[in-house]
Amino acid sequence: MSEIEKIHVIWLPGQACTGCTVSLLNASHPSVLDLLTGFIPQAAGVTLDYHSTIMLQWGDEALEAVNAAEKGDLEPFVLVLEGAIPDESIAEKSGGYWCVIGEDEKGNPITFNERLDRLAKNAAAIVCAGTCASFGGIPHGKPNPTGAKGAIDYFGRNWKSKLGIPIVNVPGCPSHGEHLAEVLAYAVLAVRGYLPLPELDEEHRPKFIFGHTAHENCPRAGLFADGKNSHEFGEPYCMGLLGCKGPISHCDVPKRGFIEGVGGCPSIGSPCIGCTEPDFPDTPLSPFLAKAPWPFFVYEKIHSIPGSLEAVWGRIKETLTGREI
Amino acid sequence: MTQQEITVEPMSRIEGHLGIQAVADTEKKTYVEAHSFGTMFRGWEVILKNREPADAIWITQRTCGVCPTPHGIAAAMAVDMAYQAPPPEMGILLRNFLLGAEQLYDAALGCFILEGPDYSQSVVERSNPKWWEAAQNEKAPHSDIHGYSTIADIMTGLNPISGGLWVRSLGVEKLARKMAALIGAKHPHVNTLVPGGVALTLTPTVLEQYAAMLSQQVAFAKEFIPLFDDLLDFVLSMGYDDAGLRKTNLLSYGAYDDPSAYTAKYEDLSDWGLKRRVSPGIVIKGEMITQDLVEINVGVREFVDRSYYDDWAGSYINEDPMGNPIDEKHPWNKETLPAPGAYKAWDSKYSWGSSPRWVDWKKRVDGFPHTLEAGPVARMWVTAKAKNVPESTGSSLKYILPKATIVGYRVADEMEFEWKIPEKINTVERVRARAHYYAFSAYVVYGQLLQALDLFKHGKARVWNKYSKPSKGFGVGLIEAMRGALAHWVVMRNKRIANYQIMTPSTWNAGPRISDIDLGPYEDAIIGTPLTESDEITGVDVVRTIRSFDPCLACCIQVYKGDEKILHIPEV
Repeated sequence: MSEIEKIHVIWLPGQACTGCTVSLLNASHPSVLDLLTGFIPQAAGVTLDYHSTIMLQWGDEALEAVNAAEKGDLEPFVLVLEGAIPDESIAEKSGGYWCVIGEDEKGNPITFNERLDRLAKNAAAIVCAGTCASFGGIPHGKPNPTGAKGAIDYFGRNWKSKLGIPIVNVPGCPSHGEHLAEVLAYAVLAVRGYLPLPELDEEHRPKFIFGHTAHENCPRAGLFADGKNSHEFGEPYCMGLLGCKGPISHCDVPKRGFIEGVGGCPSIGSPCIGCTEPDFPDTPLSPFLAKAPWPFFVYEKIHSIPGSLEAVWGRIKETLTGREI
Repeated sequence: MTQQEITVEPMSRIEGHLGIQAVADTEKKTYVEAHSFGTMFRGWEVILKNREPADAIWITQRTCGVCPTPHGIAAAMAVDMAYQAPPPEMGILLRNFLLGAEQLYDAALGCFILEGPDYSQSVVERSNPKWWEAAQNEKAPHSDIHGYSTIADIMTGLNPISGGLWVRSLGVEKLARKMAALIGAKHPHVNTLVPGGVALTLTPTVLEQYAAMLSQQVAFAKEFIPLFDDLLDFVLSMGYDDAGLRKTNLLSYGAYDDPSAYTAKYEDLSDWGLKRRVSPGIVIKGEMITQDLVEINVGVREFVDRSYYDDWAGSYINEDPMGNPIDEKHPWNKETLPAPGAYKAWDSKYSWGSSPRWVDWKKRVDGFPHTLEAGPVARMWVTAKAKNVPESTGSSLKYILPKATIVGYRVADEMEFEWKIPEKINTVERVRARAHYYAFSAYVVYGQLLQALDLFKHGKARVWNKYSKPSKGFGVGLIEAMRGALAHWVVMRNKRIANYQIMTPSTWNAGPRISDIDLGPYEDAIIGTPLTESDEITGVDVVRTIRSFDPCLACCIQVYKGDEKILHIPEV
């Protein structure tokens, strides 16, 4: 057994909408209660020490755990970020702020960024819940009035926690609840040494979740391969001609559904808008009802030729040679 | 010294970043001053500017992950109007089902997760030991229905994480969001709303699954509402009448459109507003003065005297299509010019929130601007008074929820509900209205589900109408979010967004004062609230009062207009 009995979680909202929090409550296997009560002994002992939306305390008392974590008195803790990180230097020019969380002993405001800087030094790992914390999301949409960015841009892509763990992004707007729950459980198991660090793609997304595109994961992909396209909303075919960005978005929601298997964007007839991607909500993901750039489809079609030929030829060959299974 | 100042920052168990400063008079045992300040800003509007108008349907939902769907619907309605793209009847009903699913989840979230813990054993035993003592001996009047023997048992059930009610409500809320995902692809941030209807492949499976999940909500309502009535009546009996008390100045835009009335035309706005299942209306000093959505829209103003924004000049629209004057302080003409300023500068600007007011421009009362309160209590009040719907008696809303036999639920038979217009609008009645609105939402959506089955039977299953987008136009989307009246305004030029404005219920409720005699609703509600804590002042009475409004700050503070000045744009 690992010697680490307790793992604390500090959930810090920046320029957030609380959607990833609500989405975490959508998770069933594991659920947020599973996480907090320990669904397997190796994942037990997780305490949610700060989460302003659901915690009992308020004001200064609510911040006790955050203040302790900043001083290094809450060990070890996983820092979960929700929301983008603004550029406070822009607001400072007129003597103001973009985002404040609490006050110091003298009653002066403490910005989200100040807290983030202090917490990052002591965190065992940083997990970014959602596209805003990962890449800036809508707050960083052009022309990005508050200078918002995601953690990998704020701290730098080479940043590592004091345990040597890079920032882990769980994008999605909001992130899928079970993606978050799985990654948090994974982080707990990794901090305790039960699992290796998850393999990440170049955008710091765990490959075991974000390894395929929404298009590859789409139940309507077979209809697309069959040349069946929807031309009006409501039709049951491929949504590509109505704006689906599935081929350029990394997501398993079409296959997995959104809540306990229910939902899934293109799979029920609405175009994917690419909400897991670094460029969201700008081009090429918006306008959301505009078609994805055609070169992706040309590339995909050309790319599929050898496989399509193999699928046909393999069967012909079998018939010609009369080979038994 | 008899005055003690407290600051609650961060305000927890709400959506977003809010701070409250309050001053208690410890001798008179009451709060005498308060300031409400929003402490986070993102800048939605400059991001929306120059984008495709339809993109607002997706982008504006992301102002708030707790209440995204009404944003999506308000945006869809505003864009329907700008594009002249009315949806087919089934499309309108499916939008209502999305709204209903969200209101079920959000009402339960508010009562059990956000506000409920303020009345839980963990808080009450520490802050109000006398209440706790009384609660242990107070039998819950409806214990035969909900199964909780004493008020103390209910309070223990509301303890976060360990409480049975708290945990159970999480499951019910998830199920309601699953209903939203069934029609909306996901929740938060539903993906199927499009101009002219919804983007959903509708099959009988969808309606059947929705109905099955709705049954479970109906079954839950029959325990939830009597349980909250018991708890809240007890709190009132402890002398909590004056907590959060405000005069009865209310705003409701109404919700749940009649599929045969909604045309997306501004000229028909008054008509389809009156045919909504939840009624629109403005109440001033306890009198309903109008139910006309055109009159209501024209009277809206937004002020930034105490907010971190510069004032604006200029306008997009001088009059609406019916010739009514559109003021330069009306959101269609608003420019948001942020100017980040000092923290807690009470004498000047101190909040990222702004101060909406409604001007009685037809001089029905006095012709002045009024501070209105939005929320479930406002729309229930208006709907109960107006008699626009059969359930409205003029003093109450009376209706019957159907049978629902669900394993693990105590009441299978149909049950009658009645929400009566309260004498006072206070902390307790805001929470009670939220609980009752859960049941009323389930009732309304149940009725409309039967309508949808009938449409399906008659082959009217189209979910979307094709449209051809004009190059210019404008629109307004008025609806009830969980927290109250929500409006979106769009001005379209050259097929792009020239101006987009959002005014949320929390913009109305959380806003700072305009002057020292014209306070925001939160501030007004705290002043006069009794101080019930005996020793240490944690501010429990303040947080209870603020949470009774169910604040949603990310929603409330979303707008920004960059340095670029808009040159004069010709009128519509």
